[in-house]
Amino acid sequence: MKAKARLLLIALAAIFVTVLTRPTLAYYTTIGKATNVVTSGDIQLQIHEKTADGSDFPAEGVYIIPGDIVSKQVSVENVCGHPFYLRVKLVSGSTNESLSADECLKLDIDTRNWTSQDGYYYYNQILQPGECTSALFTQVEIVGSKVDQTHVGSTLSLTVNAYAVQSENNPADHPWDASGWPAE
Amino acid sequence: MKKCFAVLVVCLVLAACVLPAAAANGQVTYQKGAEKFIFLPGSEYSPTDLFPNFKDVMPGDSIQQKILVKNDAANNCKVKVYMRALGAHEDSAAFLSQLDLTVAKGTDTVMFDAPADQTAQLTDWVCLGTLYSGGECELIVTLDVPVTLDNRFMDLVGYLDWEFAVEELPVEPEDPRPPQTGDESQILLWAIVLAVSLTMIIVLLFSRKKKEKE
Repeated sequence: MKAKARLLLIALAAIFVTVLTRPTLAYYTTIGKATNVVTSGDIQLQIHEKTADGSDFPAEGVYIIPGDIVSKQVSVENVCGHPFYLRVKLVSGSTNESLSADECLKLDIDTRNWTSQDGYYYYNQILQPGECTSALFTQVEIVGSKVDQTHVGSTLSLTVNAYAVQSENNPADHPWDASGWPAE
Repeated sequence: MKKCFAVLVVCLVLAACVLPAAAANGQVTYQKGAEKFIFLPGSEYSPTDLFPNFKDVMPGDSIQQKILVKNDAANNCKVKVYMRALGAHEDSAAFLSQLDLTVAKGTDTVMFDAPADQTAQLTDWVCLGTLYSGGECELIVTLDVPVTLDNRFMDLVGYLDWEFAVEELPVEPEDPRPPQTGDESQILLWAIVLAVSLTMIIVLLFSRKKKEKE
């Protein structure tokens, strides 16, 4: 009888022990690492130089004679994800000291969309991502009266330099008032 | 057919509304079964990236990033959640030292306010709170990019590490009871214990009767 009572007690104890020990399981600690990333944006532009038929202006240049009108359409495209202000500087040059490139190259500047200020041509609008400006000029006229026989074999050049500065967090009444224009 | 089309349109609209909002938050989720953290949403730079909003930042930007820290364990799991900063990776320090980072718990308690490459107030573990099953807390991280940041820092990638830890605690009787979302008790074990106990009791009763008859 005693042995059976003991068995009964053991059975009851088993039930209690399993119930009571349940909440006292060991506590866990878990650690995890997150690698967070910050990236900075950038400003990128692309200068397009085309001819009237839509083809690229030849990199090696073209042969000219006095009075020629050369088709050269210069525009700038925003190829980044941020809007920006834009300005362009035109630098002309000559291999002949007696030939002034400034005087003999005449450009049909688009003064409706571009404003000349401080030696730069400023695009009047903010250029949005993916947009392209109107052409700053579409043709270059070689002024005949400024060129003569002594200039045969000379080379005239016209370099287009474009500069952009972000318009986000950079309010300005006019593009030339914007802060942060890159140095030349 | 029309009804199906209408339902489809509504679903698409809802998905379009909900998905971008969800994607803009960082998420740290503790999963008890796996004994690990899940970090979302990740990025092309790091699978555990919690900063989806801090990409392509520009001088003058001040951007916020919400991060939800969740205890996704099933019922009756109470954890203390901690975090600490490990600082910037070595090659990112120059860039991140230019940026200011603030981490606040909710809208009030600022836990960190220093250049982003530093560990500052988060050098040691800081407790974010006690979370019961299904509970969550919110971190608001603000990144300030100075307007003076120049072209040297254009188009860069900066990495900084954070660590999270949980300490699992016993649920006390006075703890608030979380809503029951499932039955986790080990039914099979209890059934076996019950069956064994009942069998023993029946055997005892049977043998007692037999003895009485004798």
